Amino acid sequence: MNSQLALKTDKLTKTYITGKIEVTALKDADLSVKKGGFIGITGESGSGKSTLMNLLGGLDTPTSGTIEAEGKIISRMNKEELALYRRYSVGMIFQSFNLIPSFTAQENVSLPLLFAGVPKAERKARAAEALENVGLSHRQRHRPSELSGGEQQRVAIARALVNQPKILLADEPTGNLDSKISHDIAELLGNLNQSRGLTVVMVSHEEPLLKEFAQGIIRLRDGMITAREMI
Amino acid sequence: MKLKDYIELSTANLWKTKLRTFLTTFGVIIGIGALVSMLAFGTGMQKNVINAFNAMELFNYLMVFPEPFSPKINAEDLILDNEAIGSFTKLKGVEAAFPDIRFPAEIGFRDKKEFSFIQVLPAQFADTKLVQLRAGSVYEADDAGSMIISDSFLRRLDIRDFERVLGQKVRLSTLVLDFSEFNPLDLVGLLGGEKLPLTMKNYELTIVGVSERMGMGGPSLLRSDVIISPTAADKMKKITMTNLWDLFQQSSRKGGYSLVNIKVSSPKYVDSVRSKVEDMGFRTFAIIDQLEEIRTGFFFMDMILAAIGMIALVVASLGIINTMIMSVMERYSEIGVMKAVGARDRDVQKIFFFESSIIGFLGGVFGLGLGWVVSLLINRVVNYFLAQQGVPAIDYFSFPWWLCLGAVGFAVFVSLVSGIYPAMRAARVDPVVALRHD
Repeated sequence: MNSQLALKTDKLTKTYITGKIEVTALKDADLSVKKGGFIGITGESGSGKSTLMNLLGGLDTPTSGTIEAEGKIISRMNKEELALYRRYSVGMIFQSFNLIPSFTAQENVSLPLLFAGVPKAERKARAAEALENVGLSHRQRHRPSELSGGEQQRVAIARALVNQPKILLADEPTGNLDSKISHDIAELLGNLNQSRGLTVVMVSHEEPLLKEFAQGIIRLRDGMITAREMI
Repeated sequence: MKLKDYIELSTANLWKTKLRTFLTTFGVIIGIGALVSMLAFGTGMQKNVINAFNAMELFNYLMVFPEPFSPKINAEDLILDNEAIGSFTKLKGVEAAFPDIRFPAEIGFRDKKEFSFIQVLPAQFADTKLVQLRAGSVYEADDAGSMIISDSFLRRLDIRDFERVLGQKVRLSTLVLDFSEFNPLDLVGLLGGEKLPLTMKNYELTIVGVSERMGMGGPSLLRSDVIISPTAADKMKKITMTNLWDLFQQSSRKGGYSLVNIKVSSPKYVDSVRSKVEDMGFRTFAIIDQLEEIRTGFFFMDMILAAIGMIALVVASLGIINTMIMSVMERYSEIGVMKAVGARDRDVQKIFFFESSIIGFLGGVFGLGLGWVVSLLINRVVNYFLAQQGVPAIDYFSFPWWLCLGAVGFAVFVSLVSGIYPAMRAARVDPVVALRHD
């Protein structure tokens, strides 16, 4: 694999079997993302965007094809190795934020550090720092229900980055936010990409946002890549 | 993840559903409480019996029979007489040896008459822990006119003030075989209990002491309501049978006693004394041999009690399983999040195992407390009512360290077993499904 690439997939295919019907969610997807790149993915619902993101994030395993991330072939990893890949190498954010409601912002952000066995005092300090980086140092002790949608997504970003992964996967991060806030979140991801060299893959319906911040856009339709545009 | 983190996270999770956690834990508390008090009762009873044996030094006794120890020995040569007793007394560790003589008699005190057995006991043995006095003292060595009476006999007469009977007279009516009226042809009738060739002789003795009879029907050496000295016994005309069989054996015996009790100064001498006595040819029996059987008996009793106590604990463990499955289902997406940020299947599994074992630990500790309080109350109530019957207060329950530690350990173990299925279910949660936003 080219050492300049953060992510590379080869003939990536995922089929689900629901009952007796076989559904192909993703078919022969070839994709490569440069280190420090920002790639947007767009497509209608059911086009396979989330499936692709789950595969890249190591939450799901492909039916066939390979995935390489940071030089490691994650499509060959077992469950245990995938968990460690998710813990240290990749951060994910979602449309529905997926914060734990009973935890404060700081506790949510510390969660990956908890599983990494980081001592409590260090967890606290690193979580505080991660929250500061997303502009939420004043919201440390608030629970998700006390935060706005934009703030919740920032907490999720802080959590995704607290273990300092090289790759951030954002699955429709602005889907639940209004246009002003959506722009702020996309801008934050753009800044992280620019300032830290973070590789970002962002799924979105909103093409203007992708065009503003991403370097390339991939279009998916019925599980297949139909177009690649460089900006 | 560190141990401290697991405990902290699991405690926080349990605290979120306080009421449910409390109710589930309460189930374990009741289960462990029931189990602990049952086993404490079994242990307490065993301790009481062993203590009673020890208090009466029953483990220091060896019984000797005028029967051959092995088939090679000629039964004709075995005579259990004073000479034999003399040689037993010389053995190392032997404190004393005394013949076991009992004979039937009617005890008449005030207006009550009761047929019973009279125990003949030399004064030096009456003065040991074998006879526990509740009032008065033991008779002198050659005192022919004194006797010790049991408290249970007096209690049957509704006498509770034992001091007051001291110095009062008791009539003993012994049975005497009167062969002047006996026709050998009546033997068949005799066996049927008809036309016994017996007459009665009356003697009057003074009560000098009131003895305590061993409670709970234990295998006391002294099963008699009246104890008298050999001097007093010698002066009485009587038959010394303890059952009808003795009546017919008597003629074949060339003198000697049918049973001699040997008392050693410590149970450790039982084996050496026994082998010497067996070398002399006599068959022996020691209560200490029964100790293992007693222990086995109590083990089975404990098992039955434990089985009863387990019922509540099984119900409690179903409660834990139910609570934990509910918890897994409620926290489905939370589990998905944990996996997405790098939790391994076994990390998730451990979190749920810790939660169920915390329930078990708390249930075990408080259940032990509940069992202790309940047994304390039962003990009080039982002792209160038995005190009215004149029974001295004892602890019916015992809480040895192994029971306390075992109760908590077992509670944690049961909770862990109950947590297996829910924890496995939590570990199997598919993060893709759990995080799907719909």
